[in-house]
Amino acid sequence: MAFLSDSAKAPPAASGEAAVPSSWQVWRYRLKVASREPTTLIGVLTALLFTYLIVVPIISIVLDAVRVQFGHERRLGKDFGDLTPYYLDRTFLSPVSVDLFWRPLFNTLTVAVGAILLSLLIGTILAWLISRTDMFGRRWFATALIVPYMLPAWTFALAWTTLFKNRTVGGQPGWFEALGWTPPDWVAYGRFPITIILALHYTPFVILLFGSALRRFDSQLEDSARILGAKRYQVAMQIILPLMRPALMSSMILIFAKCLGEFGVPYVLGLPVKFEVLSTSLFRSIASRQTGVAGVVAASIMLIGIITLMIDARLVREARRFVTIGSKGSMNRQSRLGKLRLPATGFAATIFMLSVGLPLLTLFLSTIMKLPAQFTLDNFTLDYWIGQDLHTVALQTGVLLSPDLWAAAKNTLMIVGLASLASGILGLLVGYVVIRTPVRALSVYLRQVTFLPYLVPGIAFAAAYLSLFAVPRGPMPALYGTVTILVLALMADQMPYASRAGISAMTQLGKDPEEAAQIAGAGWFRRMMSIVIPIQKGSLVTGVLLPFISGIKGLSLFVILAVPSTDVLTTYSLRLVDYHYTQAANAVVLIIAAIAYLGTLAAQKLTKTNLAEGLGS
Amino acid sequence: MPTINLRGAQKNYGVNSANAVSNLDLEIRDGEFMCLLGPSGCGKTTTLRMIAGLENLSGGEIRIGDRVVDSIFDGVFVPPEKREMGLVFQSYALWPHLTIERNTDFGLRLRKLPKAEREARVEKVMQALDIAKYRDRYPSQLSGGQQQRVALARMLAVNPGVLLLDEPLSNLDARLRLEMRAELKRLHKEFKTTIVFVTHDQWEAMTLATTIAVMNEGTLQQMGTPNDIYDRPANRFVAEFVGSPPINILSFDKKGTSDVAKEAEAYLSARYPSLRGIGSVGIRPEALSYATRKEDVPQGSFSGKMVVTGILPTGGSWILELKSDSHTLFLTTHALPRLELGEKVRFWAPPEALHVFDKDGQRIAEADKLLRSTKLN
Repeated sequence: MAFLSDSAKAPPAASGEAAVPSSWQVWRYRLKVASREPTTLIGVLTALLFTYLIVVPIISIVLDAVRVQFGHERRLGKDFGDLTPYYLDRTFLSPVSVDLFWRPLFNTLTVAVGAILLSLLIGTILAWLISRTDMFGRRWFATALIVPYMLPAWTFALAWTTLFKNRTVGGQPGWFEALGWTPPDWVAYGRFPITIILALHYTPFVILLFGSALRRFDSQLEDSARILGAKRYQVAMQIILPLMRPALMSSMILIFAKCLGEFGVPYVLGLPVKFEVLSTSLFRSIASRQTGVAGVVAASIMLIGIITLMIDARLVREARRFVTIGSKGSMNRQSRLGKLRLPATGFAATIFMLSVGLPLLTLFLSTIMKLPAQFTLDNFTLDYWIGQDLHTVALQTGVLLSPDLWAAAKNTLMIVGLASLASGILGLLVGYVVIRTPVRALSVYLRQVTFLPYLVPGIAFAAAYLSLFAVPRGPMPALYGTVTILVLALMADQMPYASRAGISAMTQLGKDPEEAAQIAGAGWFRRMMSIVIPIQKGSLVTGVLLPFISGIKGLSLFVILAVPSTDVLTTYSLRLVDYHYTQAANAVVLIIAAIAYLGTLAAQKLTKTNLAEGLGS
Repeated sequence: MPTINLRGAQKNYGVNSANAVSNLDLEIRDGEFMCLLGPSGCGKTTTLRMIAGLENLSGGEIRIGDRVVDSIFDGVFVPPEKREMGLVFQSYALWPHLTIERNTDFGLRLRKLPKAEREARVEKVMQALDIAKYRDRYPSQLSGGQQQRVALARMLAVNPGVLLLDEPLSNLDARLRLEMRAELKRLHKEFKTTIVFVTHDQWEAMTLATTIAVMNEGTLQQMGTPNDIYDRPANRFVAEFVGSPPINILSFDKKGTSDVAKEAEAYLSARYPSLRGIGSVGIRPEALSYATRKEDVPQGSFSGKMVVTGILPTGGSWILELKSDSHTLFLTTHALPRLELGEKVRFWAPPEALHVFDKDGQRIAEADKLLRSTKLN
């Protein structure tokens, strides 16, 4: 050993003596390191892809809002594509602005606020009953009360019309109308039913978020207050509620963001009385080729969405302060309900019946009855499912025998399947690059760009796609009416969930297994194939399955981007609604609901997680 | 494997952050069992990962023999998979989806060895580490110690020129750790591999290493044999980091001076007037002795009077806590101390037991010779 003799000598003082590499040398070395593996290359490619699929459409629609659109050159005295304040003025200031923007905005806000208040009221009580009391059947209710969220929201809208539709609109009357009571318009359509339905649909948000906060709540905090002499209500108001505030705020904001983009429910229930929200107003502008105004409305929806979620992000950050308070002493203490035990169970059961049992039962019964609300044996038939040679103009067979259904089902499977497969794989790749690339800027950019669609309600995103891909641009042919545009839009729309799943899976995996393989002599490709992908099999399946479920029940993207030849189940059923083929429409919706529900269950089984983690997808 | 050489190796994780490793010169020779020892965050794991190629350099270069494997100046970076080294991770990093046998076999498959040879080598290494009976199990079905042996087997199977170990024993219980230490020493003999071992446990370093490199805050403090490190610490950091109970430091600083330190200062300046610029003196607890009567204290030794304030049995030995007005000393003795708390005793140490450091905390080498030349009577 060279150091045996002179080991007592300290090594030369650090720094100063070493030759300092020139910045050129540093860059050459970094380039060498970064280009050694395809990670960075893949990162750059995916970054470009998502810039094109996510950022460019959004920019495009914002530009639409301030540039002269096709057909308006003469009126505005400018050339196509010139900058103009016309559409902003028209949407925000002109006499028609009330119909185009302000009233829909008001309606959106009031419906959202109403839905939030109602779902908070119901949701907090249910969450408390489920997680902190000895109510009967707690475990069963814990799952059963989440079901409404697994079903498409407009399932409820269709059930509602089946029950309450009145003579204002043609076609088969609702059950109450048929029984001789004409529901007033405000019950049948518009603000009231939309608010109720959205509230019931999003109550599971509150149950999940508030419930998990309640379960994590440290009972010792409660006990300390009690020991100091606080009464039960004082504990509730001064200890529990303040600590629950972040969870409550968070669920409020999530519900608001979701209501903002909700299309199906206001479309089905609002249209008959011309009750418009922002999403239906946007849809109308697009349908009437008002691309400039559509751009303004879409950009406004995005802006509201972005602001809302930024508030949420801020709240989540603040909520972290509270998390540190929780200690390992946290345990789940149950309150005894005593005499209230039965009524409480009754309340939960009622909510379940209202939000799951009744709508599904109504829809199902409506599909096997010829005339509404006539419960005689001869009125029941399976014709609408499997009948043949029916005496109708279109749909002369039951819906299960109709080639249209199967074509739509095939389209759905293909489009949604392809998109979720792509987003699942891309999500894992993004996760890999974000965690592994030595180029920090790339990692940050990828993380943020794939999260961007989350801030943009689906309908606005679809409008953005329409704006960008409706006409040929550069090497890209016009995509409107093709399967491609649907797949691309759906894929981009699902990226937030897919990339988050990928990032968290890669974070959990850590670097070690891969580095161990590297040490053992495995190159990049080999590591991907024999280490990373096999270990991540489970999360890859989830990454594909979750987007698939949400794509199956999704409506807002398709309603704007699909054409009859690319019909999917949701648009097919919506068209049946438009044609007043009530029974067939309801049957298709039931099929969608069944797929979505079973898919969610399968995903939960496969990943052994609760739905809470897939929340928002 | 030829000698591994780090020259001015440097690593920082970001432009404005402090160096995790700065200007590190390290030479690891063939067949050596080297321990990188230091407190957590001292840069020892980073150093190990730089050698393996898992961390890029921010400065300097690494050579294996004459071959540059990593250099900013030459723009060279040989990736880990081409460095032919073995690394056992602190977390073991076994591949959860492969059986123990496949885990062990992985590297051999990559090298495209004939099946018969692969099987023979896997068998040999699994036998050597006593894991053959778990061959069809998955890592999650094994205990920590078993997993640790699999992690070792996996690397030994490919017969790497150098085996890097990143605190591989830290997750094991005390008994298992002792067994594995013996195992590692045996493997080092049997496979004749160069081993670089990272640990913050000084006893582990002392018992295993042929050479210890003590690091702190990203810089190398001292490199030498275990005895060197213990008996002649190059600076105060090494002196204080190695040894338990820790070395007694008598600081000569104007502010921190205690009565015992003043006695030491007087003792040294009276007997060794040529020694100048002393910053502090260190005395290991086991180098101190005590006596209840003045005549039992050898002439010429450094001694003083203190009060016994604590007697702490550690099983087989005792630690005495001695206090004066402004100083506390720890003393280790192997004979049952027949003392009462509050009793006055005299501590003493032979002059060669004094470690003399300058004002910057560096060892004053000339002091060693001087102090050793004095004979006690």
